[in-house]
Amino acid sequence: MNNRYKILIIEDEANIRKFVTALLEANDYKVLQADSVDSGIMMFTSYLPDLIILDLGLPDLDGTEFLKTIRKDSLVPVMVLSARTSEQDKVDALDMGANDYVTKPFGSAELLARIRSILRVNRRSAETGRLPGGKFETGELVIDYDSRKVFLDGAEIKFTQTEFNIMAYLSEHFGKVLTYSAIIRDIWGFSDSGSIKKLQVNMANIRKKLNLKPGDNKYISNELGVGYRMHDDNKKGM
Amino acid sequence: MKSYRKTVIFDIVVTFVILAVTFFASLVLNDLFEANALIPSMFVLAVFLIALSTDGYVLGLISALLCVLADNYAFTFPYFAFDFTVQENIISAIIMIVITLTTSTLTTKIKKIEETKMEAEKEKMRADLLRAISHDLRTPLTSIYGSSSTVIENYDNLSDKDKIEIVGGIKEDSDWLIRMVENLLSITRIDNSNVKLIKSDVVLEELIDSVLTKFHNRYPNQEVKLDMPDKFIILSADAILIEQVLVNLLENAVEHAKGMTELKLNISQDEKKVTFEVIDNGCGVDKDKIKKIFLGYYMSEEKPKDTQKHYMGIGLSVCSAIIKAHGGTITAKNAESGGMIFRFSIDSQEVSDE
Repeated sequence: MNNRYKILIIEDEANIRKFVTALLEANDYKVLQADSVDSGIMMFTSYLPDLIILDLGLPDLDGTEFLKTIRKDSLVPVMVLSARTSEQDKVDALDMGANDYVTKPFGSAELLARIRSILRVNRRSAETGRLPGGKFETGELVIDYDSRKVFLDGAEIKFTQTEFNIMAYLSEHFGKVLTYSAIIRDIWGFSDSGSIKKLQVNMANIRKKLNLKPGDNKYISNELGVGYRMHDDNKKGM
Repeated sequence: MKSYRKTVIFDIVVTFVILAVTFFASLVLNDLFEANALIPSMFVLAVFLIALSTDGYVLGLISALLCVLADNYAFTFPYFAFDFTVQENIISAIIMIVITLTTSTLTTKIKKIEETKMEAEKEKMRADLLRAISHDLRTPLTSIYGSSSTVIENYDNLSDKDKIEIVGGIKEDSDWLIRMVENLLSITRIDNSNVKLIKSDVVLEELIDSVLTKFHNRYPNQEVKLDMPDKFIILSADAILIEQVLVNLLENAVEHAKGMTELKLNISQDEKKVTFEVIDNGCGVDKDKIKKIFLGYYMSEEKPKDTQKHYMGIGLSVCSAIIKAHGGTITAKNAESGGMIFRFSIDSQEVSDE
């Protein structure tokens, strides 16, 4: 039982903290609790959790301050839980280093799925890694970084250089929502007024080549006005 | 501020055009009839029109003075020279200024009255909406409050099956509340900025992907038959709001189209517009009710029944408000084969060739 995942939840609303704790404990996670940025940082430094669930509206400081502080020297996955729903709030939190953004109100199934997805990524990167030369696999999708080839159901899919670069970047950050600007910075290095459109056209081609229909929710999902995320092929396993 | 400057420029242009037309018309008339008795009435008409069609007093007064000068310069003896010794001219100047002042005052007053009327109407709509919402919040809250206290106070006396059933009811009502709040948020998004939307480029396919993913999360068992062009199409719209419209329409079909076996989402594109249709083959709606379908029941004469919760109200009226804010219209009609068709259009950009 020693290798149970430790999850730190930082949330000032006692009722939400209580039910999330109960939910996580019922699903065999070890839960640590904090109700402010200050106590959150203390818990983080003394227990080194595997995942942090972070509310943004905290009594002492804004949750983003916590994010900034720990991102200085830690890559621990952070899932933001917030009542703020605008696209800009999401983009800001994600660009500041959050791995995922869940808006309140949320369902228990959704929360657990996202937690599993984040933790799986981290385990993957620790074991096999997504280093160049390696292979990435999820469902029927295989990305070979070495030969720069993508396979679906065993058959090779021809991608352009740019499309492959996007696929590789998304897979390297499997489970994490990547904002438009983050992807553009990685793929093109600079951004201009037409960048987002260029990215969207490339994504449309990628979806077409992977034979993804709207509503499939397979491999790649899009967050309107925010960015893209690569995930498993089916919702149940997510 | 920008629109204020625009109206000022527009007013100046109007003033200039009216003055120029009057001046040249007067020249022509003067030549034709050789009777300059017509001229002063021409200028009076011009001043009246300007005062009527521009904001405030300034432009009217300036044009009144200009008219007096023009009359003096071109149409009274000595021709094409100023002469301020004639008393007639001073009196006609005073008359013109009085006309300008009274007309401007009147038009300003009328405009103010119209504004307050619109404001009052908006206020009334808001109050009605608030009343309807408060009424509707009470029902699920009663059930949530009652159910949860029932479980807590009678925990040992309830069977596991009963407990699951009661808690399930709490979940159902919270679900309904969540959707209600989402709709209210959408309304504030429109209201806040006075029907100014944050439009951005939205990829049609991504929008539909997001809509269907959301819808399937809520109704995993309801299939949606999708028919859309296989092209890269960009819409100019507020993505989150249009998403809300489509989700609302699909949900509306699931909740209200009794006997529905097929739910379709058809999207078609012509030169400048993308048209969305949500089609069900359920029970349809009575003809006299269709007219009011987007108003929400709070505008209709019927009083809401206390038990009525899943009414067609706010969801569809939010749809209509959102589409209106996008400069379009949403229509509802009964399909010939039974069921309903909801249809609306959004501006699209040209398709990229890449």
